[in-house]
Amino acid sequence: MNFAKQFWALLRLNLAGTLTRLGLVCTIVIGVACAVGVLVSMLAMGVGARREAMGDVSPNRATLISVDAPSPAQSSIAQDEASLIRDLPGIRRNAAGKPIVVFQVTVFVQARSKIDRTHTGFPVMGVTPGLTDYQPELRITAGRLFNPGLHELIASNKCARQYTDFGVGAKRHMRGGDWLVVGNFDLASTVCLVFGDGDTILSAFGRNTYNQANVMLESPAAFADLTTALKANPSLHLKAQHEAEIFEQDLQQVNGILNFVSYFVGAIMALAATIGAANSLYAIVDGRRRELAILRAVGFNSAPIIASVVSESILLALPGALIGALVAWLLFNGLLASPFGASFHMAVTPSLALLGLGWALGIGALGGLLPALRAAHVPVTAALRAI
Amino acid sequence: MKYLPLIWSGIWRKPGRTALVLLQVAVAFALFGVLQGMKAGVDRSVANTRADVLFVASADFGGTPLPFSYFDRLRSVPGIKSVSFADGFVGTYQRPTEAVYVLAIQPTNLWLTLVPEIFQVLPKDLEALAKTRDGALITTDIGKKYGWRVGDRIPLTSNTLHVDGSGTWTFQIVGTFKDHEPGEAGLIVANYDYLDKARAFNQGSVRNFYAVIAEPTRAAEMSDTIDELFVNSPNETNTASFRENAQQQMRSIGDLNFLIRSVTSAVLVALLFSITTMMMQTIRERTPEFAVLKTLGFSNRAIFLMVVGESLLICVAAALIGLALAMGVFPYTAKFIPGLSMPLSVVAFGLIGALLVALIAAAPPASRAARLQVVDGLAGR
Repeated sequence: MNFAKQFWALLRLNLAGTLTRLGLVCTIVIGVACAVGVLVSMLAMGVGARREAMGDVSPNRATLISVDAPSPAQSSIAQDEASLIRDLPGIRRNAAGKPIVVFQVTVFVQARSKIDRTHTGFPVMGVTPGLTDYQPELRITAGRLFNPGLHELIASNKCARQYTDFGVGAKRHMRGGDWLVVGNFDLASTVCLVFGDGDTILSAFGRNTYNQANVMLESPAAFADLTTALKANPSLHLKAQHEAEIFEQDLQQVNGILNFVSYFVGAIMALAATIGAANSLYAIVDGRRRELAILRAVGFNSAPIIASVVSESILLALPGALIGALVAWLLFNGLLASPFGASFHMAVTPSLALLGLGWALGIGALGGLLPALRAAHVPVTAALRAI
Repeated sequence: MKYLPLIWSGIWRKPGRTALVLLQVAVAFALFGVLQGMKAGVDRSVANTRADVLFVASADFGGTPLPFSYFDRLRSVPGIKSVSFADGFVGTYQRPTEAVYVLAIQPTNLWLTLVPEIFQVLPKDLEALAKTRDGALITTDIGKKYGWRVGDRIPLTSNTLHVDGSGTWTFQIVGTFKDHEPGEAGLIVANYDYLDKARAFNQGSVRNFYAVIAEPTRAAEMSDTIDELFVNSPNETNTASFRENAQQQMRSIGDLNFLIRSVTSAVLVALLFSITTMMMQTIRERTPEFAVLKTLGFSNRAIFLMVVGESLLICVAAALIGLALAMGVFPYTAKFIPGLSMPLSVVAFGLIGALLVALIAAAPPASRAARLQVVDGLAGR
């Protein structure tokens, strides 16, 4: 009880002096604002990438790939396995009563960037009929879907923005033939997506196996039925993966680097902010030596003094974090970022702001600790004699 | 110069505070050095790659390799000085985790001169390789790792099948070479002829051609010429100079330029503010001391210079410590980006930044100290 009373009295006293020490107080606030602002805006890239990649992920979708393949690129599914796969249990049927299974082969071709005209590789996905059953959220924004058997492609709007010759009506040269872009669409992804007819792409690129089979499940629970059926069938060397798992693997590469850099830079900036805060608080405490000595002389204990200085430090750091997060939001939220060939909008979310507040709490507590100890041990007689 | 002792004692008046300021500035400049150094180092390493070597690969990434007949067709293209090629496969030694990459070339100097900074082979070793069909050259590192010696026969297992139907390839070690950028997997150099005749699939094919052109400035044009030569054939090519490829690889970091700039400016703003307040605080605490100095006859200008001198000394010393730290970190980044080192221009740039920060931060407190009235100062007002 006594502790709480003393603590409140001291804290009110500390905060009342804030305006008279504006310079030192601002150092803490601005230091924390810069550290948190940088951390939040860098993490906003990873969050934005994830939000755009995972936007349409459904627990109802699964992908089958070879048992020993680490990712779909290294997997192969022969065409004669197709009917076996269509007969697997747990697969939803479309309006016509056919199982929703889309076989996909992915080939890499070159495009020229719109900005600097350099070559960049992009994947072309050849899919068997049923794409719109499997991905009902695929929205054609211009033109139409490709027709089977023809050299036709549809490209996501991201491709059209990033590279040349992806608008409707554009011709692309691939494998000794001209391919017509007949449609543009919107679909959640951080990279450019191009679809064409599966069998046409298989023959044009001299391939005879698909990479993966994408299936729509009857329900998320049907995934278990599918995996048991795959294990029980020795003629199919396949494993099932949730759509989210496949997307997560793709994200891991870019996000791993982004997160490492974000936390590395953020931690260094936080260290600098902590040192700055400690220095300012030392100066504040030194300026109040006499006041603190009097307080101790009239019976205030060490513990409430320590607690009040640390609390003051934290209370100054928190608005700094809010300012940092706000500036990050104003400057970067929704900004188009394109690291590592991907392209997405950065997202400053409330949870990132909360993370920033957490870091500020740490900076405030660590930076305030040593000055607080000094404040609690002001030698009463020496400090009072200096009047 | 005669003020130096005064400046020095001013700096160490409160050792704890000065140490913390030094630390803060050093940390900030270490970050600056790492970020800017990374960017400048990448730019420089791209500029150092050769623009006159064109790398010819199959347009179908991961698809069938190119036919050997392209060798002669490339050599007949006007403007191309020489053409070489390389192939290879991944094998494993004894355990599936011990990967060994077999680089297969023609046993002449032609291909090796393209990358002299990476591979170095002595003429006698190259001659030995040329004489032994199934010969191989190894690095001393891999020799130590697996206990291989010249004269040994080593069996490798691979997914690339041998004509005998197995995945076992045997090489006879005939010499050594130097590899300056060793990757995680070991590497051995073997004869292309042996590999091509002994493989079950893709005989008479080549993974990549390397064309050296006479005029490096025409690299983009020549790349297009080569690609057009094989357009509409079943094996279309995709050609780009070493430099263009390096640019592409490094662009991922270039895209982060905007972010690097934002971070750097945030660091500098925070620093500027922090140092200004700290100097202000010192001046306030030392008001009586400055008043005494003025009474003794120190001019306003001298006082101003002393305060600026303190700030300069602290900032530049701390920046040097920070940049040295950043330089110390750089050898570790070589793991991710080979050949990266910190350019001296970044150090110079950092020091200029430190000077500016010190001058701007010290100006308000210094002018305050200079304008001080002796009477007020001594009265403690």
